Amino acid sequence: MIPSGETYLLKRAELSESHLLKTYRRSGGYEALEKVLKEGVDPAEVTARVKDSGLRGRGGAGFPTGLKWTFMPDPEKDDRKRYMAVNADESEPGTCKDRVLMREDPHGLVEGCLLAAYAMRLEAVYIYVRGEYRFPYQRLQEAIDEARAANLVGQNILGTKFSCEIHMHKGAGAYICGEETGLMESLEGKRGHPRPKPPFPAGFGLWGQPTTVNNVESIFNVPFIVERGAAWFHTMGTESSPGNFLCGISGHVERPGVYEVPLGISARTILEEYAGGVWKGRELKAWIPGGSSTGLLPATTIDTNMDHDSIKAAGSMFGTGAMIMFDQTACTVRASKVLARFYDHESCGQCSQCREGTQWLSEIFGRIEEGRGTMADIDNLERLSKQMAPGKTICALADAAAIPTLAVVRHFRDELEAHVRAGCCPLKKAAPAEVGA
Amino acid sequence: MTKIILNGREVEADPKKPLIAACFKHASHVPHYCYHPGLTPVGSCRICQVSVQEGDRPARVVVACRTPVSEGMVVDTESEAAHATRRECLEFLLKDHPLDCPICDKAGECTLQDYTYQEGQDTGVSAEPRQNFEKRKSLGDKIVLDQERCILCSRCVRFFEEVPGKAQLTVSGLGSRSKIETFGDRPLEGNYQGNITDICPVGALTFKQFRFQARVWNLFKKSSTCGECSRGCAVSVEVLRKGEVKRIRPRYDAEVNQWWICDVGRMALEGANPGERAPALLRGYAGLEPVEVEDGLEAVRAAHRAHERHALVVSPWITVEEGRALLDLAQSIGATPTLLSPPSNGLEDDLLHTGDPGPNRRGLVELGFEARSPEEVLELLAGAETAVLFGERIAELIGHEGLAGLPSDLRAFLFDVEVPEAACLRGTFGLANWVERSGTWVNVDGHAGRIRPARPMPAGLRLPLDIVAALSPTVTTGGDAR
Repeated sequence: MIPSGETYLLKRAELSESHLLKTYRRSGGYEALEKVLKEGVDPAEVTARVKDSGLRGRGGAGFPTGLKWTFMPDPEKDDRKRYMAVNADESEPGTCKDRVLMREDPHGLVEGCLLAAYAMRLEAVYIYVRGEYRFPYQRLQEAIDEARAANLVGQNILGTKFSCEIHMHKGAGAYICGEETGLMESLEGKRGHPRPKPPFPAGFGLWGQPTTVNNVESIFNVPFIVERGAAWFHTMGTESSPGNFLCGISGHVERPGVYEVPLGISARTILEEYAGGVWKGRELKAWIPGGSSTGLLPATTIDTNMDHDSIKAAGSMFGTGAMIMFDQTACTVRASKVLARFYDHESCGQCSQCREGTQWLSEIFGRIEEGRGTMADIDNLERLSKQMAPGKTICALADAAAIPTLAVVRHFRDELEAHVRAGCCPLKKAAPAEVGA
Repeated sequence: MTKIILNGREVEADPKKPLIAACFKHASHVPHYCYHPGLTPVGSCRICQVSVQEGDRPARVVVACRTPVSEGMVVDTESEAAHATRRECLEFLLKDHPLDCPICDKAGECTLQDYTYQEGQDTGVSAEPRQNFEKRKSLGDKIVLDQERCILCSRCVRFFEEVPGKAQLTVSGLGSRSKIETFGDRPLEGNYQGNITDICPVGALTFKQFRFQARVWNLFKKSSTCGECSRGCAVSVEVLRKGEVKRIRPRYDAEVNQWWICDVGRMALEGANPGERAPALLRGYAGLEPVEVEDGLEAVRAAHRAHERHALVVSPWITVEEGRALLDLAQSIGATPTLLSPPSNGLEDDLLHTGDPGPNRRGLVELGFEARSPEEVLELLAGAETAVLFGERIAELIGHEGLAGLPSDLRAFLFDVEVPEAACLRGTFGLANWVERSGTWVNVDGHAGRIRPARPMPAGLRLPLDIVAALSPTVTTGGDAR
């Protein structure tokens, strides 16, 4: 059953001309910013509200946003310029939620950026948009221009002392530039090679200045939290993962799309009530809970609640909350091969384990899928994945390649073995017409 | 200084440097590829794994090149977990490595080889075909790149960016398709290219001059000092089976050249390997004829006794020790001790090369030699009755044409590694060159550098110091009544 709770993230997006300033203002937009500026609310108070709300980053790691903001050095003691980079390089396979926000409600993101800038006393905000997102980029640019014309962006916003610039940057199609330090390198005009940490962005970020990197959806939540308070935010979601999130559901479902749901909702509800269930009346075989980097889960876990802790307990990760569904005709080996190839293609090539490991996994999956694998290959998949992750490389891309591999070996070992024994894909053999239908 | 506990000992570590520097300083070797003390650490090869325990937190394995030291940190470079992680890392590095060690010039000093032996992975598990890249890509007239052997440590890329300060190489491509390339396929340029072959941990970058010249374990290595300019970089002279010098490489010297040398010094094999040298030649009816060294030296002494206006010119290649002896000689024969001071060769830059082709100019001037340009020296010689021209390369630095133009009644005696054609030369004596003798050179900044014999002198030659001693007028030999 679709829960009756409040929706707020996609509410404005349903209005006609939702991307225009007039529509945004009519529905109460920029009121949070105006109130904060006019009342002269202490920036620390804004940060405190976000921290108290318990908002967890929506970019994949689920790190508390407000807590991240407090890592920025005290402006009294550190007079360097401070920046925020908004990560709109949404490239995780399966994930397409930020696109909707930027396209349908760009002013929400602009207001969020301004509030974040106020809270952290930022010099400027950079929005790093995935290069393929031409239309969302255009919409966002128009929104910024409109806001600038209305004295909402730039110098002395709304006649106060608060000033903030918002700059846009278009990515060039590299997955690795969605990694926060890779994104910063790319913004600086270099290759998107992630930086080793420490130093962390809050101490040494863009151009060596204190920087916070946040996801679009995280920032989009900020005006609501600032306006309505932390207590309101806690009325939705679970204790440790409050609020609503945008769930992009794709794969073998009747109605794929982006839905706003409260955290903690059962995955089955999303699949059946929102997405109309598995397509063509078939059965569910497996599902990915939060984008391609989170491990595949068998169908038996579909009653797991979609929040960070429950998904972790089920043996995967919440990630971006982008669910991918596989029906009974899907070959998990083939799916793993496609994913492994993606990580092989997108590894930046700095760290030995990731550069060679992603290629190796892709090659082994390729052979098993073609029926040229051996039983030793399956053990090697597991061994190599454990050698690549966790935390053995500069960034988490190696982990992102290793986790789905470990998951498929753990949950679908019989299918891998069947491929080796049959010398081809057993599913293809059984029902050649059905695959790819 | 920060105190850390390294393998059970309390040691001091520089807080500005990464942990790996502290490990090296206190003789704990940690395998490493991308880390080089002269370059910014990037932490990408991931092999310098060590176990670290800070405060109450549990021990973890970290890369030593990107971990800052902290007070009381407990470091174990030999823990089982650290070794296991290094082994894992090596397995990945070896996956696409061609393992062509039998034909690789780096074999024997390749750290991929060394660490593989050390960490002990003797069986490859990869069933995949190895990647094929370009195997012998020429990067200009000095360097050859083998993209298959490359492990992408990016030291060469950072070297050009950080040391000469002009980026010339880059990593192109993504992930496993990454390779080292020059920008726009342009050839490498500059006087410091050779250094990338030293810092390359594998055989990916090789120096054309040394390709297929020797197996490195057959090279006899001796610490010495480069003589190609007055910087006097610390070098290692490497001789194949006590014969030919095959390679000159930099040696670390914090005050002079750190880890680097220029290509002029690296490629100075011609000067290091002069041809045949006759121990002594005296002018007879048929030109310069071989004589016993003793007889030759007696001819010099006789000329000194018989005449009055003597000149003594030394080359800036002689050592301080030889200079002292020659000063005494000049005094005893009444000649002005003159140092041949060659003009700049135009190769100076802001990194190492000074452009002054005299490695011991400063040391000799400080001893009391008068520096004169080649023109002034020729003038001096034209007005003298006898001349002793002493030191490696002196004929070349004065100029062969200038020498040939001197009057034939000048009784000039040349002590050099080569003998040009000149009528004024009454006698010539073969000299040991800078890879065959020992001594001290003082560089442009006053830093003393030692030269050491890397191979024996050719038979029959005498050491310069012995020759100078024998030239002293007080020396008498059998037949001379004085």
